[in-house]
Amino acid sequence: MAKRIALKDSVEVDGQDLSNDCRSVDFTSEHAREDVSGFNATGASEYLAGITTQSVTCEFFGDYSAAGTHQVLYPIHRDREIVTFAWRHDQTTAVSATNPELRGNVQVLTYSPGATRGETEAFSVEFTAADETGLQFYDTAAA
Amino acid sequence: MSTLYKVMARTGFRGFKQGEEFEADLTPDEERRAKQRGSIRVVRRDPDKHKEEEKDG
Repeated sequence: MAKRIALKDSVEVDGQDLSNDCRSVDFTSEHAREDVSGFNATGASEYLAGITTQSVTCEFFGDYSAAGTHQVLYPIHRDREIVTFAWRHDQTTAVSATNPELRGNVQVLTYSPGATRGETEAFSVEFTAADETGLQFYDTAAA
Repeated sequence: MSTLYKVMARTGFRGFKQGEEFEADLTPDEERRAKQRGSIRVVRRDPDKHKEEEKDG
């Protein structure tokens, strides 16, 4: 099994490569735990997987240049647009079983850039899955 | 026939590098956003798409 140091990740939002403006990616996919326990001899609980909630949180550097972080993300949030999101581990190689790509349509429900004097401007953006397909890992490139 | 685009952004667009041209069927919203932020420009419009836009607008 090959472990890795995250260095060459690819992050693309609405077709725009934001990899160099991004320094972290956190994907969360969670099925709600629904308790369907009844009385039983052992007292054990029984659960079913309920609704699925998915999101990706990325930390971006503040970049106000053409096609930079702000110009890509703010209009998406402002206009309540649904756009494509893609993340894979190695931007130097194609999507494959060993370099799977997380893809899906997302929204930016909260946009909250900020700055502190003397510090690098960076802020988190949460991309929320926007349709029934959700966010999934794929072994092949998008059509 | 797809529309021909040229990538203007230094960071590329959809895997294409700055200066490259590519054919694609972007949705009107995708194309509008990408043009507004200076990522792409239209080199040659898909004639069918252009007719649809005229009809709509």
